[in-house]
Amino acid sequence: MTQVNLLQLSKAYSSADTYAVHNLTLEIASGQITALLGPSGCGKTTTLKMIAGLLRPTQGDITFDGQSVLGIPAERRGAVMVFQNYLLFPYMSVGENVGFGLKMRGVDQQTIRRKVAEILDLVKLSGFEDRRPKQLSGGQQQRVALARALIVEPKVLLLDEPLSNLDAHLRDEMRELILNIQRQLRITTIFVTHDQEEAVVLADKIALMFDGELQQFDRPNAFYKRPISVRAARFFGGVNFVDGVKRGERVETPLGIFHVNRQEIPDGPVVITIRPENLKLGEEGENAIQGRIRSHVYLGTHARFKVEAGQWHLEVVAEASSVEQFHDGEILSLKFPRENIWLVPTEK
Amino acid sequence: MIALWRERLRIPLMLSPALAVILVLFMSGLVLGMMQSVGYLPIIGRYEVTLDAYRKIFSREDFYRSLSLTVWIGFASTVLSTILAIICAMTLRQTFRGKRWVTFIFQLNIPIPHIVGAIGILFLFSQSGFLARLAYVAHIINEPSDFPALIYDRYAIGIILEYLWKTTCFTGVIVLAVLQSIGEDYEDLARTLGASRWQSFRYVVLPLIMPGILSSSILVFAFTFGAFEIPYLLGQRYPSALPVLAFRNYTDVDLNARPDAMAMSVFIAVVITVLIFIYMKITRTYLRE
Ligand SMILES: Nc1ncnc2c1ncn2[C@@H]1O[C@H](COP(=O)(O)OP(=O)(O)O)[C@@H](O)[C@H]1O
Ligand SMILES: [Mg+2]
Repeated sequence: MTQVNLLQLSKAYSSADTYAVHNLTLEIASGQITALLGPSGCGKTTTLKMIAGLLRPTQGDITFDGQSVLGIPAERRGAVMVFQNYLLFPYMSVGENVGFGLKMRGVDQQTIRRKVAEILDLVKLSGFEDRRPKQLSGGQQQRVALARALIVEPKVLLLDEPLSNLDAHLRDEMRELILNIQRQLRITTIFVTHDQEEAVVLADKIALMFDGELQQFDRPNAFYKRPISVRAARFFGGVNFVDGVKRGERVETPLGIFHVNRQEIPDGPVVITIRPENLKLGEEGENAIQGRIRSHVYLGTHARFKVEAGQWHLEVVAEASSVEQFHDGEILSLKFPRENIWLVPTEK
Repeated sequence: MIALWRERLRIPLMLSPALAVILVLFMSGLVLGMMQSVGYLPIIGRYEVTLDAYRKIFSREDFYRSLSLTVWIGFASTVLSTILAIICAMTLRQTFRGKRWVTFIFQLNIPIPHIVGAIGILFLFSQSGFLARLAYVAHIINEPSDFPALIYDRYAIGIILEYLWKTTCFTGVIVLAVLQSIGEDYEDLARTLGASRWQSFRYVVLPLIMPGILSSSILVFAFTFGAFEIPYLLGQRYPSALPVLAFRNYTDVDLNARPDAMAMSVFIAVVITVLIFIYMKITRTYLRE
């Protein structure tokens, strides 16, 4: 159980360069799974490598349980990294791959053999010791890579895009496995992904990064209910944004005045955002506006409507049966329930 | 059907002029050499085919002395240049200021002919050469001739130095390319699993570049085994490297020495062919991985 803190962590690859990671401060709780989420190139792998000791930060500090680890080289830091493309050593058997870390520590052959068998059992690959890496499927290779990391009993487990190279059905299986093992061993785990869904299903907390900077660090559901910006909302599938000006608990917009619950954001220009599943098609009352249905798709369990209101295009997710009730071209009322409206700053 | 065959034969047909030249020159030389090695020499009125020349060279003492010298030269140059090449490639792989220039100069050696290298070695290392004079001027030695004999010497140091200069770059460029294709992730991974720098080189980098090293070593050894010009220019007179011995026998005034020369050449060719087969086998297994 190790708590990891990143303090004002920055990395520039060369002196003239812009920062790949800038002023990143995170408190990663002991024994939990934390996701570093963000689009490709936002500095996730760089952050992971700094924690592992493979890259020296340009500024800032990294602590494990309050102690700075910057002076500790990678091989003694206790943060093990599992790479995206597994990187099994092709000239070694599965058993040798898994036992690698113990061999480097000078552990005797017999102990290595016993521990390899134990850990292969944990990742459900019992008896695979003598296989060669190229005889394995992608999912199996991934599990060998995980076993090879776990066998050294790391303080911190670092996973770089653990699910992105797998097929959809393998992905679920692997996710279950990672969650199970993590629950069992309680290793502080940090994993990197560019896929918000992956982050949501795996992580206790998500750190959303854009362009090397931390946007928001929160529990998964917060990114749906209380995104910090239009960009963060968009990253989590937000599509409805209406510009307005906030005065107290009222927001004036070209579509009319919206009444909102008290929110911390200062008065002035804001953006109203609401999840498609929270917009109420055909309902009247407070915060209802007029809109015209442009198109819809029927998705079996639900339906998705595109609604035009003034200059804005809004998306609504409604019950599947609503496709019989509403028709393209129809003009009807659309309600923004006050408790589901969330205000974010206007984008520069 | 015909179209298919035409498609299949297109590239061989396009290559055929070049292949023809190679075949005519190379094969006719080889056939001629083999014929002479079995004693078929119409010029001096010998028509019967015998293996006498082979029997004879394998009982000649100077053949064995030349053979062991040649193996020594090949072995020493290959091992030393491979070790140097690995060190150079590991260094050149890192990022540092002026890396592009250093890499350029490193690769520049490859197109320079061996003969230029030989002249360079003579200029630098002979007893009247640059280093000998420098040592003399600096009062490290009393006479330029006190400088250790590195050229025309019994350990073939001059020859090995020349091969080192050239083949280190050759192997180095190959190892560098292999290293670049492997990337640094394997080493990073090994480090986080607890391997020290040395361990990650020993247990990760070395096995990964081994196929590249093995195949380039075989090429280097095969080359040094059959090369003539450098041992001819920088080697002592007796014993000389095997190709030089074969050449001297061939140019001997006594035409009866010719079958011996050709038998030796065929022997060299066989050894090199076997090495090339091993090389091809290694690269093919490696490519399949
Ligand atoms: N070795 C490197 N040298 C220079 N720039 C790099 C290097 N590695 C990554 N970068 C740059 O740093 C930024 C962040 O990269 P990375 O951490 O790999 O992003 P992510 O893992 O989020 O996709 C990118 O702009 C990338 O181009
Ligand atoms: Mg990455």
